[in-house]
Amino acid sequence: MSHVVLDDLTKRYAGGALAVDKLNIDIADGEFVCFVGPSGCGKTTALRMIAGLEDITSGEVRIGDRVVNDLAPRDRDIAMVFQSYALYPHMTVYNNMAFGLQLRKTPKEQIDKAVKEAARILDLDRFLERRPGQLSGGQRQRVALGRAIVREPAAFLMDEPLSNLDAKLRVQTRAEIARIHQRLTATMIYVTHDQVEAMTMGDRIAVLNEGVLQQIGTPKDLYESPTNRFVAGFIGSPSMNFMDLTFEHNGAVPRLAGEGAEVVLDDKQTAMLRDKGIETIALGVRPEHLTVGGPDGPGLKLTADVDVIEFLGNEELIHAQSAGRDIVAIVDTEAELKVGEKVVLTAAPRRLHLFDPSTGLSLARG
Amino acid sequence: MSAAALGRPASARPWHRFTALLGRRRPVINILLALVAIFWLVPSIGLLIISLRPESAFTQSGWWTVLTAPSRLTLQNYSTLFSQGLKPGGLLDSLITSAVITVPTTILVTTLSSLAAYSLVFGRWRGRDAVFLVIVGLMVVPVQMALIPVASLYKGISSATGFNPFGTVFGVIIFHVAFGLPFGIFLMRNFYSGIPRDLLEAGRIDGAGEWKLFRRVVLPLGVPAAASLAIFQFIWVWNDLLVALIFLGNSAHVPLTIFLFSQVRELASQYWVISTGGIISIIVPLIVFFSFQRYFVSGMLAGSVK
Repeated sequence: MSHVVLDDLTKRYAGGALAVDKLNIDIADGEFVCFVGPSGCGKTTALRMIAGLEDITSGEVRIGDRVVNDLAPRDRDIAMVFQSYALYPHMTVYNNMAFGLQLRKTPKEQIDKAVKEAARILDLDRFLERRPGQLSGGQRQRVALGRAIVREPAAFLMDEPLSNLDAKLRVQTRAEIARIHQRLTATMIYVTHDQVEAMTMGDRIAVLNEGVLQQIGTPKDLYESPTNRFVAGFIGSPSMNFMDLTFEHNGAVPRLAGEGAEVVLDDKQTAMLRDKGIETIALGVRPEHLTVGGPDGPGLKLTADVDVIEFLGNEELIHAQSAGRDIVAIVDTEAELKVGEKVVLTAAPRRLHLFDPSTGLSLARG
Repeated sequence: MSAAALGRPASARPWHRFTALLGRRRPVINILLALVAIFWLVPSIGLLIISLRPESAFTQSGWWTVLTAPSRLTLQNYSTLFSQGLKPGGLLDSLITSAVITVPTTILVTTLSSLAAYSLVFGRWRGRDAVFLVIVGLMVVPVQMALIPVASLYKGISSATGFNPFGTVFGVIIFHVAFGLPFGIFLMRNFYSGIPRDLLEAGRIDGAGEWKLFRRVVLPLGVPAAASLAIFQFIWVWNDLLVALIFLGNSAHVPLTIFLFSQVRELASQYWVISTGGIISIIVPLIVFFSFQRYFVSGMLAGSVK
């Protein structure tokens, strides 16, 4: 009943710049969808168009069964949490939360009940009579959440709500938001540039770049089957390693080679590359899928010089140089690598991502 | 007092250096400040004492002689002036006329400036900046230049409607409001520019229309600027002689400034009336200033946005 549909949603600014280009996303009732992408990718603009804070150039936004393009923000039955909190500084915490309901002429007892309930959920009971200026950053963000909760809107819109919090508080509040989502089973659209946030919170993630939707899917989908090089590089931390390899299929064993790396292909991959007449490949492999040494056989094998080692506790982050390219690998501390050492890194065939180097599109998973 | 000084923290470093300097030389600076204060206060105290002495004493000895003979002070002058009651042209009458001109002008200028500034800052119409520039330009138009055009405009209104604003309190109020607005809008706009847009957007999503946003969000946050504007405006209009003299000079009811002015004569100026009326005309803006002072709250926006 409160699903949100974006239909060819487009925003072109007066200067001609295209901020969002034909965005099509169907968000189910109660779903938690994250819009993620680098700054300037159009994710916030898209959110603001859903909220009604930004004019829609073309396309449609539907909330529930209504087209809301021409509705004022207040008539869209949405609540928004801003990156900057945007609390009313002259009002108490109580009134900050009650304001929306007061404007809607909700009966006083009902407002009181809703505000107190939200304050209880967010552990703000003790601060109801304070002003935002007397609160810490985390408390302010909780008030901003409370202001959204009391309204019981059809959809929650959140614009990077955690980016002003320090790391520890961010993890706490992340869990808080996830809890609220479970409790209210409300539709949530969450904008972030932090892919870790998106991966941990979203039922589905929409990756945007330069105003264009790159891929939408579950965190697992995006991680395992990125549709293009951008998504592959954006999702996952540290990001995927890429190398440009040449397809050599005239020898006895068809293989990809170059930049100190070699991939032995299986028959299926060979056939696919032959069919498409592809000569060069952008190969992607995630740092966590590289292992030191490993058995011979199909898959990737590359030699590199260890450059920097970052100790992470249970594992190590290795930066290594291979044919002038920085390769990052997360390896077991038992490998006991040293800076300056030559290392052979391998990856299983199913961990390899093949991309067309000109279009960046995924060819198939290796 | 600039709008910036009211809302945003002043750049901290030079200020710290200044206070550090003050800390080290505190006694010297305090003495200097006291001297400056006395220098400024002496004429006012003199005026106050003159108003408290019998009329005849003025020509006999200087006011400072009271310092050695304080028993000769009396409230006689005040009671004489006030006992005349509401006689047109009397002190009480002109006090009321001044208030009737100043209070509505102050309220109108503050309200209209706030509304205009809201539209100039948060409205969504083209040409806002151009309009603002024109308004800033109007700030430098001298009052003297407009006297004749406005007088003839009033004459035009008179022949068109039968109501002549010239010579009425209403005409003076309109004049003052028109000349108060450019500065008022300038001050309020600059202050409102410092209010984060997110706040307005949060309000819009919460369900507020433009009027509610103005009333419940922007206006309360603009109180420090509005209070300083109101004080400026009040004092300007309260002290105005020129406009009142030209537009109300021949009227039966004149403001306090004209009342005082009319006591000055070539030979027998009424010094006891001038000093007493002068003190009364000083006291009113002082009351206004001190009662508005508590609205100068700095850091109103604290905690709204990170």
